[in-house]
Amino acid sequence: MPMALIELHNLQKTYRVYQKKEGLRASVKGLFKRTYKDVHAVKGIDLQVDQGEFVAFLGPNGAGKTTTLKLLSGVIHPTAGTASVMGHTPWQRENDYRRRFALVMGQKNQLWWDLPAQESFRLHQQIYGIETQQFNNTLDELTDLLGLRELLSQPVRELSLGERMKMELTAALLHRPEVLFLDEPTIGLDVIAQHNIQQFLKYYQQKRGITILLTSHYMKDVAALCKRVVIIADGRIQYDGSLSGIIDETTNRKLVTLQFADPITLQLLKSLERFGTIVQDEAPRVTLEVTRDDVPAMLTAILDAHDIDDLIVEEPPLEQVIADVFTRVTKSSLDARAENGDC
Amino acid sequence: MTGYRPSYLNVFLTFARNSLVRDMSFRANFILQCISTISWTVMNIGFYLIVFQYTDSIGKETGWGRNEFFVFLATTWIINSLVQTFFMPNAQQFSELIRSGNLDFALLKPIDTQFVISFPRVDWAALSNLFVGFTLLCYSLYQLTTKAENPLIIDWRSILMYPFYIGCGTVIMYSVMITLAATSVWLGRNQTLYNFWFYITNFSRYPMEIYKVGWGMALWVFFTFIIPVLLVVNIPARIMARPLNTMNSQMWQLAGFAILATVACLMISRRIFVRALKSYRSASS
Repeated sequence: MPMALIELHNLQKTYRVYQKKEGLRASVKGLFKRTYKDVHAVKGIDLQVDQGEFVAFLGPNGAGKTTTLKLLSGVIHPTAGTASVMGHTPWQRENDYRRRFALVMGQKNQLWWDLPAQESFRLHQQIYGIETQQFNNTLDELTDLLGLRELLSQPVRELSLGERMKMELTAALLHRPEVLFLDEPTIGLDVIAQHNIQQFLKYYQQKRGITILLTSHYMKDVAALCKRVVIIADGRIQYDGSLSGIIDETTNRKLVTLQFADPITLQLLKSLERFGTIVQDEAPRVTLEVTRDDVPAMLTAILDAHDIDDLIVEEPPLEQVIADVFTRVTKSSLDARAENGDC
Repeated sequence: MTGYRPSYLNVFLTFARNSLVRDMSFRANFILQCISTISWTVMNIGFYLIVFQYTDSIGKETGWGRNEFFVFLATTWIINSLVQTFFMPNAQQFSELIRSGNLDFALLKPIDTQFVISFPRVDWAALSNLFVGFTLLCYSLYQLTTKAENPLIIDWRSILMYPFYIGCGTVIMYSVMITLAATSVWLGRNQTLYNFWFYITNFSRYPMEIYKVGWGMALWVFFTFIIPVLLVVNIPARIMARPLNTMNSQMWQLAGFAILATVACLMISRRIFVRALKSYRSASS
């Protein structure tokens, strides 16, 4: 079997953080004696990604997603473990490797602030040594796809956030990377800009067959783009599989919405509560959260007793399912720490 | 594409060009900067003109008369302006990149990281000082070569060695600066850069003879052999102005040592830089 394009084994990153206590007295004390705490940002990640995959990293803030991307792009060194991307060890920072991937961070920008993006692109051309013909073709293609043509000669500081993000993406793709790391590329963007960037990424990834790792807090990004989802929480991988699989694996609940023909009485609501929890009550509709296995019995019972105009059975929203996973993981890790006396 | 090496010259020229475009887009700021830089230099020259109304030379029997000293001063401004044009903004920026975590992008580029950190900005306004320095140099040399008694004879060796040692001096200053900026990786923040620059240039802007008295000797040793900033201006200025009309053997030894010091400074700063990059933590986004 050929080796995966990206392979991580037991990757770990621990930061030593200075513990600053509150108040002036503690600050003065801190001048002489400092207390440090080890923060385990990534606690041992094993992962394989094949060429052409579009993988989403999901996880709460501080889960280790960005740290993992930084390790993969060689910006920081790991505390332990190994990684191989296209046969390179990222933190050796070989030029051959650096020419083959790109990292885009929604929170940081690399374009010259006071200059038109065009000037930064030319600089990239020089640094990456891109032939003029290829450079022009790529730039034309990207500016057309992202609708940036008119904006190329405008100073970056005068662009909107969405336009700037598109420029950042363009800059990152000029050298035609084979692997792309995206760290929250749609953060802070409005719905339309988010949608544009999603569409672009989807098209571009399929066309070029590149491998993309994306972190995002927007489920819409993930649902639109990624077949495979990796949930990272507390520095570890908690789930690795398909998006739809998350729901099957992590929740056994369904949402049942009933539209009653009769007026809804307090008594009726009471009688519904024995099947599950009422999450919404907007007459004439009531929505219940019910254990999956109980759904058939519940429906039989209700249809027998009441006149029902409409009926919907659906999966709980993805955001909620994932939020539940996060909460569970965070809680269990806190419990574990409490048991070990870490806190 | 494997094995391709970018043209460092072309990249540098693009840096320089982009900086110029940027400077030009803030025209008023650019002009004001030029004016303030030049006025500061001219005021300094005025100050030394006053000093020379009270004395004929800096130090007894050192040969640093007014015109010789003005060659020295011109050399100071030339080196200063080179450092401030090409390195000062970048060293400051480097420190800031470390603190903010934006160094990430420099580390991603398939090009030497020290290069891409050291050269992206060119402060063209600071270059105005180069012209002031050069004018002062020409004027003082003209005075020295045309004086009635014991005129200075400039031979081709001086003309070749002067720019060479200006280069060495600039490299020493650059090394000190980049080392200092790199320490931000461990210190989290290092705002001493400007202060340190001020202290160092303050020491380096006088002929080294003035230190060789009493406890000044300690300063002389420290700033010649440990942090060799005294060599920066002294060697080229002396080669050009020949304050005692000769270069004695001790001066030639120092000049030889200056080359060694330049190479050592560059290598040590490179090591510290590489070490710093390994410890870089990348502030969270």
